[in-house]
Amino acid sequence: MTSRRRFLAGLAAASLAPTQGWAAVGAPDYLAAALFPDGSHRLVGLMADGSILFSLILPARGHAAAAHPHRPQAVAFARRPGTFAVIIDCTTGAQTAALNAPDGRHFYGHGAFSQDGTRLFTTENDYEAGEGVIGVWETAQYTRLGEFPSGGTGPHDIRLMADGKTLVIANGGIETHPDTGRTKLNLPVMQPNLTYLDLDGSMLEQAELPPGLRQNSIRHLAVRPDGLIGFATQWQGQTIEHPPLLGLHRPGDEIRLLSAPNAYQSRLQGYAGSIAFSGDGASVAITCPRGNALHQFRVEDGQLIGAFELDDVCGLGTGGDGFVYTTGTGAVGTLGATVKTSALQDCQWDNQLIPVGRPA
Amino acid sequence: MRAVLLACALMTPLPATAQNRGPILTDVVEGHILPGYARLSKATGALSSAAQGDCAATSPELRAAYHAAFDRWITVSHLRFGPSETDNRAFALAFWPDTKGFTPKALSGLIAVRDSAVETPEGFAETSVAGRGLFALEMMLYDPAFMETEDEPYQCALVQAIAVDINHNANAIDADWVLYASQITKPGGQSAFRSDSEAVQELYKALVTGLEFTANTRLGRLLGALDRPRPKRAEARRSERSLRHVELSLIALRDLAARLSADHPEIDTDLAKAFEKAIDRAQRLDDPGLAGIATPQGRLRVEALQQSINDIRSVATSDLGPTLGINAGFNALDGD
Repeated sequence: MTSRRRFLAGLAAASLAPTQGWAAVGAPDYLAAALFPDGSHRLVGLMADGSILFSLILPARGHAAAAHPHRPQAVAFARRPGTFAVIIDCTTGAQTAALNAPDGRHFYGHGAFSQDGTRLFTTENDYEAGEGVIGVWETAQYTRLGEFPSGGTGPHDIRLMADGKTLVIANGGIETHPDTGRTKLNLPVMQPNLTYLDLDGSMLEQAELPPGLRQNSIRHLAVRPDGLIGFATQWQGQTIEHPPLLGLHRPGDEIRLLSAPNAYQSRLQGYAGSIAFSGDGASVAITCPRGNALHQFRVEDGQLIGAFELDDVCGLGTGGDGFVYTTGTGAVGTLGATVKTSALQDCQWDNQLIPVGRPA
Repeated sequence: MRAVLLACALMTPLPATAQNRGPILTDVVEGHILPGYARLSKATGALSSAAQGDCAATSPELRAAYHAAFDRWITVSHLRFGPSETDNRAFALAFWPDTKGFTPKALSGLIAVRDSAVETPEGFAETSVAGRGLFALEMMLYDPAFMETEDEPYQCALVQAIAVDINHNANAIDADWVLYASQITKPGGQSAFRSDSEAVQELYKALVTGLEFTANTRLGRLLGALDRPRPKRAEARRSERSLRHVELSLIALRDLAARLSADHPEIDTDLAKAFEKAIDRAQRLDDPGLAGIATPQGRLRVEALQQSINDIRSVATSDLGPTLGINAGFNALDGD
């Protein structure tokens, strides 16, 4: 009872005191990491128009961040195989807490909060066993509560579905060990999957790619409010093969794979960095920094409806009716009826764009 | 509107890269790849014959043939594209690293039920890649748990089946490469590579990935944590080939690097110097199974060797890569 009362009080506090929330920092649309000219890696509060609300120095290059649903707090993860993540108060830029992976675990660089913001779920590697786990943390002091299996090897991205009750996890399938950095240890036997778990870690469903695409590592996720999942992949097989790098899945259904015509698909070097649904939900896009391309598909029939050449594009998020993207050359742009650069900042945007205050 | 947009976007021309890399492509294929796989095929033929002649684990002829074939494999093991990847051939030739002990499990599984898959090459080719290839054969010839089993005829049949399968895969790669060669030497047109650039990038990737594999996997996995070295992770340690693999791979990669930098003598010289230092360090190590990693002195020497291989890679990525048109964007390089 006590915890329920405290929980309700917390909700009331959050709604009655909006200055405690993201509004206190100007309500950024996204969080993004970037490398600045002074050599600092920073966490940036970014608006959809490309303007920078704040930039806070990080201890090192990060991978992705996660935004607390109510408090102006961000978790910034070290790049894998990092063992730390920092909690940053975005009103002050101060580091208010740190997550240290337990012995025998490292982070993969993504995390997701529960809808009420009381729990944080992190993708981790149990590297002696070569199995993925999801770490569970409470968010008052950010202490670890426990962990459960991720349902595969190499869990990378993790998202909370719009029902607030389901976690979807991209198990990339690739075994690595911190002793050998990012060296891939199990390519002959790798088997990626998409795993759905409830918040207690019980398995709800798993989906796999067809056998010939066993080496297509599922890495990044997007969630449409109606429960459709989009995933972006990185091909570990032959460079002369150009498999689909984008998939759609709805629990209970088969995976749908989307690909551009070969002349365009073959320029992507088998690598998609990020994925998002458009604001109107009618299209889905991936960014491909090795192919300098952004590909947009219609969800309904899976047809390619836009192929854009953008230098080192990678960050991608839902924005307006369409998308917002960032590039390693400093550009922030929008894709709606057309592609438009909104701002050119003096920094190199890192590969993920994290929406604040709404599911993605 | 959408259709028009797409049409405009799709008509963006490909960036022009008109450098003629034909001579380099031909030289790498004819001087490096084809002879390498031909020698492997010849050595595995001898291995298969030796196993038919005497299948005993301690047979000097069989062991010599095993070593010769493994030598030839290591000198081409960085060429992981095209025919070597068809039907998982390369993995079936060399399943390593084996982080979860699949090879002993696969062999024990076959032996436990006297699996009749060993009776035909087709049947054996259907079994797990982990129980096939040179690492499985090493276990049969050098691991006490497999050298002598209760059922000698079955053990013999298994050794012979592994040897025949190795030869079959090596022959298939060799034969396919003769046909596949024009994919690299004649990019564009019917080739899967659309340009000289794409073909040369595949070869460059083989060089860099090969250096990474030797530095990180062949050596890095042994280092483990400072207080917990991992000598048992050494590649082919049972037959004491670990250091030899490092040396042979570096010699093969030096040859590839020299051919790729043929148009840039200064880079060629820098690479040659870096390779010489690393190969020299490897040759002076005098520790065939790399067991010395468990001692502080041994660890230092392996770290120094690893560093010298990373130094080669630095020269390759900072100097050679850009001359071959490698995309070096902040996100493109991230790999996550």
